[in-house]
Amino acid sequence: MISITYRDRTVQLLPNIYEPAEDSFLLVDALLENIRPGSHVLEVGCGSGIVSVFALERCVSVVATDINPHAVRCARLNGIDAVRTDLFAGIKGTFDMVVFNPPYLPTSEDERVGGWDDLMLDGGMSGRDIISRFVEEVGTHLKTNGQVLLLISSLTGINEVTSLMQDAGMSVEQVAESRHFFEKLVVLKGL
Amino acid sequence: MKTVKHELMEILCCPMCKSDLVLTVDEENDKEIISGSLFCDKCNEHYPIEDGIPNMLPPDLRE
Repeated sequence: MISITYRDRTVQLLPNIYEPAEDSFLLVDALLENIRPGSHVLEVGCGSGIVSVFALERCVSVVATDINPHAVRCARLNGIDAVRTDLFAGIKGTFDMVVFNPPYLPTSEDERVGGWDDLMLDGGMSGRDIISRFVEEVGTHLKTNGQVLLLISSLTGINEVTSLMQDAGMSVEQVAESRHFFEKLVVLKGL
Repeated sequence: MKTVKHELMEILCCPMCKSDLVLTVDEENDKEIISGSLFCDKCNEHYPIEDGIPNMLPPDLRE
């Protein structure tokens, strides 16, 4: 079985899921720096479950969702409680932290490749289609003083996403950043 | 005794109407529910639990 190791943890991978990369690792780093011990955490769009694996070490409970059946099976394989659903659709609880590494790439109709790959990457024409839905819905799933960690790329529009979060009533801070040759990745924290 | 996995069921709701669901367990071990279903009274819809994973997609999106 294929696996990937980051820091001190090894995560099993399955076919047809998003393979953890720089964006996943940056979100893990941001989580470890911002997580409060004893938190209840929800990860949406969990993919392999790598971010949840790190959350589980430090939290009371971690639940992960993904719409991709291969992803939820993979997350479960990695010891995570997984639920197959579209973002928050089947979830009614509230959480101390919600984390999301969304499909954030601007994608036109002719760039779509079909199959599960689109769900992992395709953020619509603006790159912000899924992010907009997430930002609209996340508030109802946060406990008082709950925090959101959202990974995005400079290609997604950092100012635009910050505005979306502010319009939803959050105060927004950039808590992690890494530069790559064609994009900058950042993690936005919303409170 | 309530297990951790029953707690997971408590944060789930119907993806269409957000109502609470009724849990039926077909198979479980000391740690978790392996298979069963969650039923929404309002929508008259069953959401299956298979291999320990609740499938909370509306029926038309399941596969």
